[in-house]
Amino acid sequence: MSTKLTKALEFSNYRATLNNQKAQLKVKTQSLLSYSINGGSFTIDVPLITFCKQLIDEGQTEVVLLDIYKNPIKVDVEMFYEEIHSRYFEVTNEYYAEYEKLRQSRKVHKILDLNEEGK
Amino acid sequence: MKKESNSRGVIMFAHNNTEIDYFRLAVVNALLVQKNLGIKNITVVTDPHSLAQGEKTLGKRLIKKAINNIVITEKDKRFKELNQRVYKDTSHKTETLSFYNANRCDAYDISPYDETLLIDVDYLILSDTLNNCWGHNNELMMNWKYQDIMFERKDPTLSRLNPLGITMYWATVVYFKKTEYVNNFFNVVKHVKKNAVYYRDIYKWPGTLYRNDYSFSIAAHMMGGFIDKAIPQLPTTLYKSFDTDDIHSADGLNSIIMYLEKPDEPANFILTKWKDMDLHVMNKWAINRVSDKLMDYVK
Repeated sequence: MSTKLTKALEFSNYRATLNNQKAQLKVKTQSLLSYSINGGSFTIDVPLITFCKQLIDEGQTEVVLLDIYKNPIKVDVEMFYEEIHSRYFEVTNEYYAEYEKLRQSRKVHKILDLNEEGK
Repeated sequence: MKKESNSRGVIMFAHNNTEIDYFRLAVVNALLVQKNLGIKNITVVTDPHSLAQGEKTLGKRLIKKAINNIVITEKDKRFKELNQRVYKDTSHKTETLSFYNANRCDAYDISPYDETLLIDVDYLILSDTLNNCWGHNNELMMNWKYQDIMFERKDPTLSRLNPLGITMYWATVVYFKKTEYVNNFFNVVKHVKKNAVYYRDIYKWPGTLYRNDYSFSIAAHMMGGFIDKAIPQLPTTLYKSFDTDDIHSADGLNSIIMYLEKPDEPANFILTKWKDMDLHVMNKWAINRVSDKLMDYVK
């Protein structure tokens, strides 16, 4: 096999590894953005955070929200908002840091935090 | 075991065959459960031979540290002989071995807890995600949605019992409370297991192997009022690798580097680092190979 082709195939392998690792990082972030309280489960996202902030601004204290199963869950909106707000940034900041590290890794062993011998 | 009030715990089933040391996997996973879920109530259902092998290779002290309730049952010899399946240690090695999964349907009766997480020994607990289940309004939850950790690999045969059949639920992780509904659910699972030939004919699952995924799916269909996907899913996705994959190394706490077989390219792999998410590792030999290292991180 020519050197050029070998190099191209190596790069293809690097690309496949990188893409899989990126996809994994994405699902890990989604998983960490799951929050359960009072017998219900929520996905923390921008609309939920914004909606809760609006409810607090309106002076609401206890509200009923629909969880991922569409079940009604009563929550103390201020406590709930604080929790989801801090979790959201904790998770997305970690996502950013790990994503940047991945983006700058130009070799398979660097993507996986291994040394060149694969250890 | 004395029942605590409002207790929460994990239950696993571990019956060795001539090649796979399921009990060892249960000990590894029990230590992971303690570390990541902070749960000390761990029940392992096993048989005298598997326990004796565990005591010989791991020592009683470590077993006691990992598992606080061991339930010993006798194997149904006829079931053991009949229920044979192909196990793979990557595409390079296949073996037909006994697959003893006969008593998983008894989990409800055996569990001493008010809230139970029933998990496979090869579903490695590498995060605290399952803590989202405790105190849930749903009394029974299990997944039909799964995600292969080689993201571009697709296997449509794993979504349904047959191409035109009901949705397949994974019995890999089941959360349940002690309620009348859940008791009835497990009674239906037992009924399906007892009449497997009949239900295989009705629901047309492939092959002759009895799998709990099938009986739990059928029970979910029946107990959901014969409606598809009627039982709610866990608040987490089920991530899976396959028996054609391998583990390169356990490189840290809750971190595993895996060889993933490329789609349509047998025995050609890419590597991936899997960290801080629970994972169903189908290649049991692979887990056993890194079990010492996994235990070192959590001991």
